[in-house]
Amino acid sequence: MNTDLALVGPARTGRSPGTVIAHLTARKAIRSGVLWGYIFGIVVASSALSYVSIYKTQAQRHRLDVAFGSNNATSALFGPAARLQTVAGFTVFKASMTLIILGAVWGLLTSTRLLRGEEDSGRWELLLAGQTTRRRATAQVIAGLAAGVGALWALTALITIVAGRSSKVHIAAGPAMFLALALVSSAVMFLAIGALTSQLGATRRQAAAYAATVLGVSYAVRMAADSGVGLHSLRWASPLGWVEELQPLTAPRPLALVPIIAFTIAVLIAAVHLAGARDLGASTVPDEVHDTPHLRLLSGPLGLAIRLIRSTVMGWGVAIAVSGLLLGLVAKAAGGTISGSSLKTVFTRLGAPGAGADAYLGVAFLMVAILVAFSAVGQVTAARAEESAGRLEHLVVRPFSRSSWFWGRLLVAVSVLVVSGVIAGLFTWLGTASEHAGVGFATTLSAGLNVVPPALCILGIGALVIGIWPRATSVATYGVLTWSLLVEIIGGIGALNHWVLDTSVFHHMAAAPAVSPNWGTDAIMVAVGAAGAVIGGYGLTRRDLQGE
Amino acid sequence: MHQLGSFDVQGFGGYDQVETTAIRTEGLTKRYGDVDALSDLSFEIPRGEVVGYLGPNGAGKTTTIRLLLGLIQPTAGRAEIFGLDCQHRSVDAHRRLAYVPGEANLWPSLTGAETLHLLGRVQGKVDEAYRQELVARFDLDPSKKVRAYSKGNRQKVVLIAALMTRSDLLVLDEPTNGLDPLMEQAFRRCIHEAKERGQTIFLSSHIMSEVEALCDQVGILRDGRLVEMGTLAEMRHLSALTVEATFDAAVPDLSRVPGVSSVQQDGRVVRMQVRGDVEPLLKVLAVSGVKGLLSREPSLEELFLAIYGADPSQTTPAP
Ligand SMILES: Nc1ncnc2c1ncn2[C@@H]1O[C@H](COP(=O)(O)OP(=O)(O)O)[C@@H](O)[C@H]1O
Ligand SMILES: [Mg+2]
Repeated sequence: MNTDLALVGPARTGRSPGTVIAHLTARKAIRSGVLWGYIFGIVVASSALSYVSIYKTQAQRHRLDVAFGSNNATSALFGPAARLQTVAGFTVFKASMTLIILGAVWGLLTSTRLLRGEEDSGRWELLLAGQTTRRRATAQVIAGLAAGVGALWALTALITIVAGRSSKVHIAAGPAMFLALALVSSAVMFLAIGALTSQLGATRRQAAAYAATVLGVSYAVRMAADSGVGLHSLRWASPLGWVEELQPLTAPRPLALVPIIAFTIAVLIAAVHLAGARDLGASTVPDEVHDTPHLRLLSGPLGLAIRLIRSTVMGWGVAIAVSGLLLGLVAKAAGGTISGSSLKTVFTRLGAPGAGADAYLGVAFLMVAILVAFSAVGQVTAARAEESAGRLEHLVVRPFSRSSWFWGRLLVAVSVLVVSGVIAGLFTWLGTASEHAGVGFATTLSAGLNVVPPALCILGIGALVIGIWPRATSVATYGVLTWSLLVEIIGGIGALNHWVLDTSVFHHMAAAPAVSPNWGTDAIMVAVGAAGAVIGGYGLTRRDLQGE
Repeated sequence: MHQLGSFDVQGFGGYDQVETTAIRTEGLTKRYGDVDALSDLSFEIPRGEVVGYLGPNGAGKTTTIRLLLGLIQPTAGRAEIFGLDCQHRSVDAHRRLAYVPGEANLWPSLTGAETLHLLGRVQGKVDEAYRQELVARFDLDPSKKVRAYSKGNRQKVVLIAALMTRSDLLVLDEPTNGLDPLMEQAFRRCIHEAKERGQTIFLSSHIMSEVEALCDQVGILRDGRLVEMGTLAEMRHLSALTVEATFDAAVPDLSRVPGVSSVQQDGRVVRMQVRGDVEPLLKVLAVSGVKGLLSREPSLEELFLAIYGADPSQTTPAP
């Protein structure tokens, strides 16, 4: 059975039964905290280092401040840009909102996984049959998660301190640690929120969806507060607003930690309390367990695949549409700052020559490409989960072959990715059109389709791994994606040679719409993916079905 | 090769042989690293038989069934279902069989009704009236989502999904796992009906009494090896009771009583295995001041220890 189970017994770990869950959770949380701390640190360091290498003179820095310092569109998206003429101000502006949101997502996914996910998997039944109560178990998981946050903070701080020692960057250890604290504080709050929604929802997925809704609302509230329409005090109504109020590096306000800490403690107390007040596996919010049958899609495995991924795919679709729309809305303003500035050289180096909205979108579409690639990885891991959880068996013990299943799932995934590209193009166009940015529909549409090939390539690699080494599916596909991301982030400051850059799937994507898509390279990426899928499909028919 | 029933397969031509043999394995072997999950399994099961496949946990029952279903690849040997190779013609073979796993991992977001509908569609043939009857018989609430079902209820879903197809062959891997005794009765009734309709049934189990109640033929598996195969009558020596007697006075010597073995004494309490007729033992007990008497079905592990001894490679029954 599951190897984790074997570790749970006190006899095996040699630890007192009172802390086994805490240790087990801590191990997983620290592992994930270290990985993300590494990414956080790299993002902060690369922002600071790229600033000092691009904006060398005082005049250049001043121009940057003029362009973004009072730009309502970017302020709404990324928070206000304070003191852009300094490294510190730019670093906060460039890195913090992205990391605050990433941290929140990490927090809610990690806590729902380690709380609700473990419970849903049935592992808790065993633990709770033993020595501990539900409340104590929940408190222990929270303690374990705290260790993960510690790891996230420590690594972020460490890398920032190291980068800050560069004489040009010059960020002292104290402010660097406070910056790391600010970045991690959203993770802390959303870990707590995830712990609470784990008690409210009936499944891990539901718990994560509730927490994500809180995140969405928090972001929207602070967005309104930061859009320069006189709603500034609204910031205090959003957890993400509190994080912004910490103002690390620029004008630190430790007092804003008070609502953050108070909120976290209150939410955690509520979570632990609710944990004891419900049945194992049950929810606090009434779960719709009875349902009239919806049979329309269930006439075969293909329909089943669509039905299973439907809600997730819609979530990704909304995220991609919103991103496209936002990028489209700010493209004109942001693109305006490129012209005549040294940014132009930077954008040229990033593969998006020229000026204006096109050039801006050319670089910014990397974000859309990443989202679409993430949804590809999600589909790969979902397909593998069907096998590892033993559900695929019910289909292939009937007159339905493994290859039909494999190619059916791939067909659905490919369709979803292509539609994602179309959505990205369409919504970007809606954004640019409403701002009269002068980017044509055909241009944004082809830019949208241009982000599909890297995702198809990753999908094909995932299909290959499913076929030949199924247990590595999740690690391999997330690995390829994370690696590509890191290469792009570090490569953005020009620190990598082209051999390394070539290992990133995104590096082969032309920066459309700044330049026209390179359909030839795109075809090669699709061909690589297709080859992976063919080999994977063959491998799948030649191997044992395998559980976790 | 172990062969069941009185069919003289040699006498038929190739085509007829396909029709009379439900399952055939030849030297079927599965190795996981150093573990021999299944070694050199050869047997033949004629159509229409109800065969119990008995073995303690880890004996290789599930491995055998997964090989028959083509879910895993044999290390050596081959298997056929109705003459169709289990690896290369699995889709055709699956048209004629239905399978019940011991652990039902279904889609948590589908309801019971949706699951049954889907599985019926994938199978391609369903006896609708019988399905409704089964839902009523097993007392399943099909409007509930799978994630809200207990283990027993999920097991009912996979049982109904298999039985409703009325397939020629039913392959059941410890199918009563998690069912309460009332539902176990309902299950037994279904198996009797299937048998009367001429369906072939291959039932794996680690409970002797279940196999005794349902099967005409039994195969016995231990540590990946088929130890014996034959009719239930030939397996009489396997049917045993664990008896625990408490005496208020001197404890008599019970080891010489016919049918009694593995006698263990613990103060005034004696524990033993009784095979075959219990009457001789009862006669002795009646005259020796017995205060309390407990009896239960022994687990297969206990039984095998009593019959075959501790060494798994020694497969000849002890005298
Ligand atoms: N995927 C696997 N990897 C390694 N060993 C396995 C695997 N599946 C089964 N085994 C081993 O094979 C043996 C037989 O298992 P199984 O067929 O499940 O037994 P049963 O169904 O009779 O309880 C056991 O020792 C088990 O540990
Ligand atoms: Mg088994």
